[in-house]
Amino acid sequence: MVDLNLLTQAVGDLEEDKVLDLLNQFVATNPTEEEAQKVVGACQQGMALVGDLFDSGEYFVGDLIFAGELLSSAIDILKPVIGSGNTTKIGSIVLGTVEGDLHDIGKNIFKSMSEAAGFEVYDLGIDVSANTFIEKVKELQPQVIGMSGVLTLALDSMKNIVDALKNAGLRENVKIVIGGNPVTKEACEQIGADAFTTNAAEGVKICQGWVS
Amino acid sequence: MADMKALQQERIQLFKDLYDNKLPKRVPINLVLSVEFAIQYAGMDLAQAQWDTSMLEIAFDKMCGDFITDTNPAMAFRYPSYYKILGARNFVMSSSGFLQHPEVHGFETEDYDYFIQSPYDCIMERVLPRIYTELDTNPVQRSIVFAKAFKAFFDDVVNGNIIIAKLTEKYGFSPIGGFDGFCEAPFDFMSDQLRGFKNIVGDIRRIPDKVVGACEAALPLMIKTGMPPHPPSPYGATFIPLHMAPFLREKDFEKYYWPTFKKLVDDLAASGQSAYLFVEHDWTRFLDYLYELPENTRMMFEYGDPKLIKDKLGKKHILTGFYPITLLKTATKQQCIDKAKELIDILAPGGKYMFTFDKNIITADSVNIENLQAVLEYVSENANY
Repeated sequence: MVDLNLLTQAVGDLEEDKVLDLLNQFVATNPTEEEAQKVVGACQQGMALVGDLFDSGEYFVGDLIFAGELLSSAIDILKPVIGSGNTTKIGSIVLGTVEGDLHDIGKNIFKSMSEAAGFEVYDLGIDVSANTFIEKVKELQPQVIGMSGVLTLALDSMKNIVDALKNAGLRENVKIVIGGNPVTKEACEQIGADAFTTNAAEGVKICQGWVS
Repeated sequence: MADMKALQQERIQLFKDLYDNKLPKRVPINLVLSVEFAIQYAGMDLAQAQWDTSMLEIAFDKMCGDFITDTNPAMAFRYPSYYKILGARNFVMSSSGFLQHPEVHGFETEDYDYFIQSPYDCIMERVLPRIYTELDTNPVQRSIVFAKAFKAFFDDVVNGNIIIAKLTEKYGFSPIGGFDGFCEAPFDFMSDQLRGFKNIVGDIRRIPDKVVGACEAALPLMIKTGMPPHPPSPYGATFIPLHMAPFLREKDFEKYYWPTFKKLVDDLAASGQSAYLFVEHDWTRFLDYLYELPENTRMMFEYGDPKLIKDKLGKKHILTGFYPITLLKTATKQQCIDKAKELIDILAPGGKYMFTFDKNIITADSVNIENLQAVLEYVSENANY
């Protein structure tokens, strides 16, 4: 069995070669699903370290992008041994870059960090219309909706989507967080979201607060 | 007409004084509104008017007449025609008709060596056919597509520039004060157009020397791109939007971003061409570096403490920006005017400041038009020296 603390630390330090070596060695030992789930957990804890280092100003957005890539390579290596896995999820998030905007780097950072924190994330992609959000929310009944955007035009789209959710009678049962460069406290109030952030790590903490 | 000529001379003088280290009569206003804003504001269809550029004259004329600014606010920078002909993956229109740059890459890890050896050939032979899908064909067809795209490029850009020049005369705008060239910091060029943000942050960990080599190889291309097509003037400037620095640790910034970026701005300045930097996101960590750039570099700030930045950079460089355009959407008219006053009180003393917002205004519905007009009116009437 791999040293879980060592693995967590290597993920936190973004030491790609070390992480991939440890995981390849682990998979070669033909581990049980239970062991594999522990290893997934250790990688996810490493992502939490990355979030902490981002908060403390040691890491920056480039590190978060890389951490997301590293985690997805790690999961790819582990896939054959994880099994179907009945891992408990702490909550579910329907996520998308809003209509009119094609930018997805921030959304993808938030996605990998919230998955690492134990959320089931349904990513609707980019340029997502109010109707698509509504259909998915009806179908999946998530606790949280995450709306992302980089261009200032995204703020209007976010408001349209919140209004459409209200009209469809879906707004009351879900928390909404908006994220991206143009969001502010005032914009959040005008849009009618529950929270806003320009920081993916903080966004994950907001969602954790809602489901705890 | 004579009045407009006199007004234009007065406005030109504002910018000459600004760039000549003198106190202008008042704070000059350098408003930039996008082509999409103009089309929406004129009540036209975004999808139609970006293709039929003959409609732009009416749209730009209305905008030029309705907003107070000392430079022509019309910015016609990119048109969809040639991107469509090229089958572009790097500039794509969203469902709402807004052309934008998604995260794509057309440069693979194995291309570094060839790029370092011969950057132009590498872009032409390998990168362009991956980014522009219609070029991914036989050489004859590729030449035809390329020629069609350039024809469309020159048709639309020249048409747009003729309209803008005509309106500059009609409304007495200053032809100086904005920019007359465009390029990117070499590391941004590698990140935006070639490798993508996602790949470049992996490359600096896995193949750091190659990234350094590639930035050095890209530098001459960026200097050439950044020079205007006419002799440089101290009143012209090359627009350089800055992207990746705030996403990097300082040691990475020092190694990958700063050396070739500084060389770019230095070399342009040595040729007589200033840089107009869009200092995107938060550069507070790098203010001491920005100080080192040649005197009178124009810096449009998106974030940061205006007082700190005025203290650190305001005696050497020309500052602008800071005003958050989201306020124009969410605040009352009085709050918007108060914000302008607050920024002018901090940034105007001693000169070396022109008024604009923290970002270009890209769509008509992203601001409250009355608030925008009230702020511009306030600045034009109250920011006197």
